[in-house]
Amino acid sequence: MTTSIRWLIVLVLLAGARDLAAADEPTRTPKGEIALPAPAEVQSLDVQPKTIDLIGADDSRQVVLTGVLSAGKLQDLTGHVQYKIADSTIAKITNSGRVIPLANGATTITAGYGDNRVTIPVKVEKFDVSLPINFANHIVPIFTKLGCNSGGCHGKSGGQNGFALSLLGFVPELDYQSLVHESRGRRLLPSSPDHSLLLLKASGGMAHAGGKRMEAGSDEYKLIRRWIAAGLPVGESDDPNISKISIFPEHRIISRKNRQQFAVYAHYSDGSVVDVTQRAQYESNDPDVAIVDGSGLVRTLDMSGEAAIMARYQGQVTVFRATVPLGVKIPEYQFTERNFVDKHTHAHWKQLGIVPSDLASDELFIRRVSVDITGTLPSPARVKAFLADTDPQKRDKLIDALLETPEYSYYFANRWADVLRVKRGNQQGRAFGTFAFHSWIREAIAQDRPYDEFARDILAALGDETKNPATVWYKDLRDPQQFVDDTAQLFLGVRMACAQCHHHPYEKWSQDDYWGLAAFFGRVGRKNIPVPGVQNNQQNQRVVIFAKPNGTVQNKRTNKAAIMRPLDGDEVKVDPGDDPRHRLVDWMVDAKNPFFARAVVNRYWAHFMSRGIVDPPDDMRATNPPSNPALLDALAADLIKNKFSLKETIRSICRSRTYQLSSMPNEFNKQDKRSFARYYPRRMAAEVLFDAVSQVTDSPATFPGLPRDRHAPNRAIMLPDESFQSYFLDVFGRPQRISACECERVSEANLAQALHLLNSDEIQNKLSRAGGRAEKLAKDPRPDAQKVEELFLWSFARQPTAEQMTLALRNIEHHAKNKRLAYENIIWALINTKEFIMVQ
Amino acid sequence: MFTVWGSKQHFCDGMTRRNFLQIGAFGAGLTLADMLRLRASAAARGETTRTKSAIMIYLPGGPSHMDMYDLKPNAPAEFRGEFRPINTNVTGVQICEHFPLQARMWDKFACVRSIVSVDEHSDSLVMTGYSQRANMTANHPSFGSVVSRMRGANSDVPSFVSLRGLSRGTEPGFLGISHRPFSPSGPGLQNLRPLSMVDAGRQHQRRQMMGAFDGIRRELDTNGSIGGLDSFTTRAFDMIASGGVRHALDNGREPNTIRERYRGVEQFLTALRLVEAGVGCVTLSIGGWDTHGQNFQTLRRQLPQVDKGVSNLVADLHARGLANDVAVVMWGEFGRTPRVNNNAGRDHWAPVMSAMVAGGGMRMGQAIGASTARGERPHDRRYTASQLLSTLYRSIDIDPSQTVLDSTGRPRHLLEDREVVRELL
Repeated sequence: MTTSIRWLIVLVLLAGARDLAAADEPTRTPKGEIALPAPAEVQSLDVQPKTIDLIGADDSRQVVLTGVLSAGKLQDLTGHVQYKIADSTIAKITNSGRVIPLANGATTITAGYGDNRVTIPVKVEKFDVSLPINFANHIVPIFTKLGCNSGGCHGKSGGQNGFALSLLGFVPELDYQSLVHESRGRRLLPSSPDHSLLLLKASGGMAHAGGKRMEAGSDEYKLIRRWIAAGLPVGESDDPNISKISIFPEHRIISRKNRQQFAVYAHYSDGSVVDVTQRAQYESNDPDVAIVDGSGLVRTLDMSGEAAIMARYQGQVTVFRATVPLGVKIPEYQFTERNFVDKHTHAHWKQLGIVPSDLASDELFIRRVSVDITGTLPSPARVKAFLADTDPQKRDKLIDALLETPEYSYYFANRWADVLRVKRGNQQGRAFGTFAFHSWIREAIAQDRPYDEFARDILAALGDETKNPATVWYKDLRDPQQFVDDTAQLFLGVRMACAQCHHHPYEKWSQDDYWGLAAFFGRVGRKNIPVPGVQNNQQNQRVVIFAKPNGTVQNKRTNKAAIMRPLDGDEVKVDPGDDPRHRLVDWMVDAKNPFFARAVVNRYWAHFMSRGIVDPPDDMRATNPPSNPALLDALAADLIKNKFSLKETIRSICRSRTYQLSSMPNEFNKQDKRSFARYYPRRMAAEVLFDAVSQVTDSPATFPGLPRDRHAPNRAIMLPDESFQSYFLDVFGRPQRISACECERVSEANLAQALHLLNSDEIQNKLSRAGGRAEKLAKDPRPDAQKVEELFLWSFARQPTAEQMTLALRNIEHHAKNKRLAYENIIWALINTKEFIMVQ
Repeated sequence: MFTVWGSKQHFCDGMTRRNFLQIGAFGAGLTLADMLRLRASAAARGETTRTKSAIMIYLPGGPSHMDMYDLKPNAPAEFRGEFRPINTNVTGVQICEHFPLQARMWDKFACVRSIVSVDEHSDSLVMTGYSQRANMTANHPSFGSVVSRMRGANSDVPSFVSLRGLSRGTEPGFLGISHRPFSPSGPGLQNLRPLSMVDAGRQHQRRQMMGAFDGIRRELDTNGSIGGLDSFTTRAFDMIASGGVRHALDNGREPNTIRERYRGVEQFLTALRLVEAGVGCVTLSIGGWDTHGQNFQTLRRQLPQVDKGVSNLVADLHARGLANDVAVVMWGEFGRTPRVNNNAGRDHWAPVMSAMVAGGGMRMGQAIGASTARGERPHDRRYTASQLLSTLYRSIDIDPSQTVLDSTGRPRHLLEDREVVRELL
């Protein structure tokens, strides 16, 4: 409360200034230009690299010049100073800080800002020597940078207009083959390099459907020309290979509408390091916050937030992270950190200079937490009791109570069953298995079975569905590829599928990484055993999963048996007779594993917070970094500390003040979309909304194919598999369980949903059902106001306002002869509001 | 998920393939982004030209190429079968004697006689460009789903309508379930008509209370997604009141003389009305082409029906000025064995089949490609189903080389094999 009062004061003070950001901008800076620090504000200058050694005529260095201001604030000055070079015959430096050799020798570069000066010694060697060219290391990256080998062009399978390059240059041998040997060798003319088709087409000298890709005479042109003139060398077999790329700086806090130059280095197997800033490719993950050009210059825009700039070079990736604070004066506010979650979110907001929203009211909280943990609306009695409770611990107690309800286990089993593909797929014979697997998952959740054991039970399942329901996972997945795709996406939060056929375009994963994982599934055996007494019909056969004593998986790239190797790990040897899957799980559940715990806490975070710390939650990669790495690490550590208890993870999330924030934005966090400074409202999931409508109308559902007794599931969250027909559920985006991807669930609104809620027989029948809520309330002798209040408590967990009450009572009066019609109208109006279908 | 089954189709292998009556919900494809775009374009209305559309006629079972568009009167008797070719109004093009209506107006038709197929009882290849086998893992979208994705819903009508339920070939695959066709049956259709139990007065009270009860604060809506819900609500009410889609589906609104011409093949008239109302893609089918026995007896009954349907459809497209805006294609999953079997039937034959096309601004009045003398395989101008689909995409202004992301985030071209049937464009 105090927080909002303080805002009010600030808002009043700033009244009239529509855009706070604009109001805060220094007036001395003309629009569009960067607000540079006054020379006196700069305490020192830092330059990277400290010395420059250039080798050969093709070499260059990107200088990154940083002004160190008070309180450790940093400002990029690379493009804002005058560089002086002592001997301009040795080297030159561009305004953007790129140093280019001109002749052998040594000199110095000086740059100054205010009274601060830095000097960089420069040495140029072998300028006059034609250094050997390695095709893979020097030429292929040019094709990547210029987009020649992209998936939309010559890089697509089959190439473009008869000229094929490997996708993003991952297979240089193929590229060499098609350039040098195909098309009767006319693409390259060593005797007259400038007449090579390659150079003519790429530089616009000849018609090229892909347009002009480079200037004749540019660095790229010259290098390719030199390679052609040198007789098209492949390179030596002992030439170094790239081992990684690095970036400087890795992270900066940058104000809005500012710039930051970075430099990218390729590290080779012989220990050499080459500046590839001009040759790598860049992409921003949030172009609203920051954009990047081809030379590694980042520009922040009008929005505050976080952006990750991916740098990619020869199959290696790294990221520059920009944190862009709002940069306006913020009021003092109260935020009591309740646990480690709050500590990390709060630190993040401070860095971004934004103010969290207020604490959500008890009304909003009980509805939010009940829906999020149990997929169920709280009853009016429960809401009233909670609101009346004066215990300061009542929110924690409510969380604990909800975690012990059967609805919790049903709801989470439903979510897990989605990604574990618990589906019948039109085969009635599979119902036994899907029902068994679903109930196995639900029991594991109810008992809070440690997540590491849960994963092991599924991944290393043996037996058949009557004895071990977890083997049902192996019914829907058959090939090692499917195991890799699902295991990686589901349990490691990594999407590997690309690497099956080629190097992952946005990640470091190669085909060998992919098949290394696949190899762990090489000894999975399956046998169909006929069920006695049943006709020998495939549907009724029982599948037994067993471990073969031996067995391998073929690596598609090498066509040899793949070597068992977990991601980023060493080769694993498994004795004959052992089940390698256990070795894989051992690696996964190890406390040091960087994927397993993070993947699941991030998945749970996304469930409760509408968005993952990494988002999409099952797409964790260097180039899609977490918005708050410390928070993700802390949640993972918390899970491991609690022996993989997912209930504890839920407690950690839900007890945090971060989770309990209001979704009402303030002036300072209204643009926030990934730092969780407020609760992001979302639509209820299909099953939850369906159940909520059933609850409010008091018309429990029946599903075809299930017994209609009192034990039958009458809630959509209880359904064991995907085969229960419901137009409602499908229209609101229930997944078909055809993949392990959370993305299968559609949460977007559409017109069909509106039509169904507003105007369907299904809803009208629920409203007017004999014995349903409308009829019961019509007959109920209590005063109408009390009954209207009850409906509001059911629907919104709050009291109606006076106006809303009046309107409802007026409608009841209007239908005084048949009150049921009025109650139907009121319930219809309630369930069609945005307040009803949203969780806020 | 599919527990309700649609009309049965019996095929030779004893398996009964029934059309899945899944959810084909109108409006499921109209997303918030479309809604905003619509609002934006509403201002510029009047300048927009009519968007083009397609009618895909599917003949399940595999229609006999040698008894329809590719007759071989000079082949030995056991190949040429019982039917004779007749001249069309285009010199040099002959088609089956049981297609007299098309023959009279062949200047408005074309056929491709040299398409290779795969031996699968599935509409997957001719509707998605990929075989069912490939789609088991690749999940390529149906032609109509692509239209839905590229166009969004452009008016008060759905962008993709299936008059034959749902099948693999109408599935949206990796485009997601919001691009399923609207199947005019079940709740998807019923939700479009006013509820009989609720009169206008009550509806008014309901809407008034709905607005007043909603306590959600406008300020929460930082990205427009909550406000979008209101647009859907308004639009839904408008649609129920105006009845646009229901009217398009109601052949009774056509004059009797026209309905009479479509007697027995009413779905062709419905398809016409739907594209006229602005639907981007309509698919329909006429079954019964898996003629392993009594091929000629069956076709004597079926061919006149098909002839009546397509000739009236194409004639009316011309009469209504839609011939350049609506592309029509008719084909099945494969051809049939050139040699007649012992049961006077023909069996599956994937090496070659024919397709009929019309409209879409394509070049008509021709027969493209040829099969060998006994109709066994392409002789020249060998084309694939994917290439004909590619041609159809182009004819309705969709570039088949554009990419969309599949569920793993991989960019996919609409079609990999997308050379066009040059004679048609």
